[in-house]
Amino acid sequence: MEPAADRGRSLVLAPLEDLRGFCLHHLGRFLLFMTTLSSVLLVFLIFFFVIRESLPFLSKFSMVEFLGSRSWYPEAEPPKFGSLALIVGSLYVTLAALLLAVPIGILAAIFLSDIVSLRVRNVVKPVIEILAAIPSVAYGFFAVLVLAPWMQAKWGFSTGTNALNASMVLTIMALPTIISVAEDSISVVGRELREASYGLGATRFETIFKVVLPAAHSGIIAAVVLGMMRAIGETMVVWMASGNANQIPSPWWDLSQSVRTMTATIAGDMGETPKDSAHYWSLFAIGVVLLVMTFLLNIVSEYFLSSAKKRTGKS
Amino acid sequence: MRFLPRQITDKAFTVLTGASIVLLTLVLVVVLGPMLWRGGKAVFFTDTIEFRKMQRDRYSRGDLETLQQQAAQAQTFRSQAYAIIDEFRNGIDTEGLVARSKQVYRQFGKELRYRDLPREDYREIRSQARQLRDNLQEAFRSHEMDTIRKNIEDVLAYRTDERFVDTAAAEFFVLAEEFLASAETVDLDKRQEYADSLAEVEQIIRLLLGPKPDEPVPALTMDRYGATRWDLAEKLLDELLWSEEWVEQEGSAALVKTRVSRTEQFAGTPLEPLFGYVQDNLKQMLEPEFRCYWKYFVDDSTPGYYFGGVGPEIVGTLLLTLLAMLFVFPLGVISAAYLVECASDNLVVRIIRMCINTLAGVPSIVFGLFGLAFFVMFLIPLFGGPSKRCVLAASLTLAVLTLPVMIRASEEAIRSVPQTYKEASLGLGASRLRTFVRVTFPAALPGILTGVILSLSRVAGETAPILFTGAVALGPLPKSVFDPTRTLSYGSYNIAVGDRLAMMVPHNQYGMVVTLVVLILCLNGLAIVLRARVSRKLRGQ
Repeated sequence: MEPAADRGRSLVLAPLEDLRGFCLHHLGRFLLFMTTLSSVLLVFLIFFFVIRESLPFLSKFSMVEFLGSRSWYPEAEPPKFGSLALIVGSLYVTLAALLLAVPIGILAAIFLSDIVSLRVRNVVKPVIEILAAIPSVAYGFFAVLVLAPWMQAKWGFSTGTNALNASMVLTIMALPTIISVAEDSISVVGRELREASYGLGATRFETIFKVVLPAAHSGIIAAVVLGMMRAIGETMVVWMASGNANQIPSPWWDLSQSVRTMTATIAGDMGETPKDSAHYWSLFAIGVVLLVMTFLLNIVSEYFLSSAKKRTGKS
Repeated sequence: MRFLPRQITDKAFTVLTGASIVLLTLVLVVVLGPMLWRGGKAVFFTDTIEFRKMQRDRYSRGDLETLQQQAAQAQTFRSQAYAIIDEFRNGIDTEGLVARSKQVYRQFGKELRYRDLPREDYREIRSQARQLRDNLQEAFRSHEMDTIRKNIEDVLAYRTDERFVDTAAAEFFVLAEEFLASAETVDLDKRQEYADSLAEVEQIIRLLLGPKPDEPVPALTMDRYGATRWDLAEKLLDELLWSEEWVEQEGSAALVKTRVSRTEQFAGTPLEPLFGYVQDNLKQMLEPEFRCYWKYFVDDSTPGYYFGGVGPEIVGTLLLTLLAMLFVFPLGVISAAYLVECASDNLVVRIIRMCINTLAGVPSIVFGLFGLAFFVMFLIPLFGGPSKRCVLAASLTLAVLTLPVMIRASEEAIRSVPQTYKEASLGLGASRLRTFVRVTFPAALPGILTGVILSLSRVAGETAPILFTGAVALGPLPKSVFDPTRTLSYGSYNIAVGDRLAMMVPHNQYGMVVTLVVLILCLNGLAIVLRARVSRKLRGQ
């Protein structure tokens, strides 16, 4: 080995070099930090710009009427901006979708984590990944050109594009999210708990329902909330499949009626409104409602996910 | 302990969970199966000579000589069909016949004037011709067979009259004979009905075979060619052979759709053989050939997606996604590097993570609103760009949308690099920056690439964010990043609901969406393979 000194450089750094290294290190760190802050900046920009564009609307029209009235006639004279039916429409198709998606999703998650071998899992997982990968516009296409005519022909609905159609397709779209998050949280519940339960003579059904699911409940709730976010923020499917009729279904359980959602209203109306009109601002106001809703749901899901993490951290 | 019921419940539960997976698989098959099958027909199908003509005219593809040869061959078969129709039309078209007799009379009148005749003779011949014309017209207009016979006989009596032989007036006798022949076969009371049905038949024949050779070229491209696909031709043949009618049924108010054979409808008329003829000779008229139209992915389409392919849409989609990746890749990797390498678990980092999650949860349509308000109307005009939808705004919006995906994937990839790599590098005296750039990053690169591909596939399928920021339904390829573009995703929406014309070409509708789906599934497949290789490699260490 040749001595280090022969390479013309001391192993001990000179004070200036040391200082330079220190500065570079911290400068680099600072730059990285600033880049990372761009996510924070973007979130603020999103809130700021969407709210800014909606401010003229919120200052001119009453909030109560906006959230409480169901007559949405933006082009009428005088225009009416009551988005109640839209908000209800969004929640309506979302909840109808969850009604199916939650049981199926949890069952599938249990199947993947507790029932089948790794090999079967490796076959089934891609199916779910493909379902998640299919773009929403393709689902919308399926809803309009395949599902809607089929419904009309087979079930005798007056229109094929209705709340049922939209929520069926939303079910398919929410499932992958629900399954993957729920499966994670179910498999995080350790072997110990399961083995203790089996050791006491419980069947698999009993173990899962009385031990595993209660232990994993916060993760499962988070999964449901995330699935709900996916469904409520979905645009293309509901725009294409829900029929876009501004009404609250009555009777309330009648899924064969057309509804209109917030996302579909924004997507459908924005192309036809001139900039800086009340209608234009009102669409941004709907965007704010959506943004706030998903933000709240996000906080809820974060809460449950972190409490799930804490729980498994303890055990 | 009641053991049996518990066991049964347990088994039933197992079956139920399995059923949920079976259901998922079934859903996948139901969604993708028909789509892929019908979309595949946009590329693999049996074409007709009309398709080859269209390709020749629009893109000068194919051999001109062979095409002309085939066209001439097809024309020999087609002309017979046209002849049958013409014959029948002559029999029932009262107004047309009347007009023709008038024209013949006028023609004859002109001829007479140039013949050097004494005034008396001229007058007599002329009034005789007028007499013939009126007789004919009366016959044409009449519904009574006796009147017709009498009038026609009156006309035909002059056939050998030397004043009319070899003149324009000889046409009178041809008309008279033709009419008598068809009047004996056609039910004259049904003339109007026949005329309506004939118009329908002619319309179908036109859709099938395109405009007649002697017609001027139609203005719209879609009218210039007949059935370009064999499946379409078969559908039209069915329409030709069977007419659908709404018939009132006894005892119920609702009308019922029934199929009536046109052969029966036209039984006994000169048109009757047409249907059998077309049915038997359709192949010769259209000369179908199997074709793999791979240029579907290159060609531009005519308005309404009637002919052509999805070339500009593919280019637009790739442009948008790659540009978005260009923006998001450095940002995502640097953020992930900071979060893994530098960040401790303090409040600021927690806020950053929460913001990333929030960003992931924002609905895609809100990204569209944000892109419109921020990029289109604020940022790009701020730097002197035009304030309109454009590729740049759309790809920036998509970059924001996919940032969380990118950060999470890169974070995971960087985290999965074994700690020993870093320790070895740091132990050799490399600085942390150097360690990251020379050791950690290359080791994590395949994993990061997986993330890139996944975000690519996500971005390629997004429609809502680009609705207001850069997508258009019609338009040329973008010349710069300040032009809007067509994309597969927006095109799929538009072709499904927007365009009436597109409804007539289902293969193109499905072709568009299948191109998108296949593109995305291929990207995903690539990501899955890559990920499997990375995890195998890391496990092998």
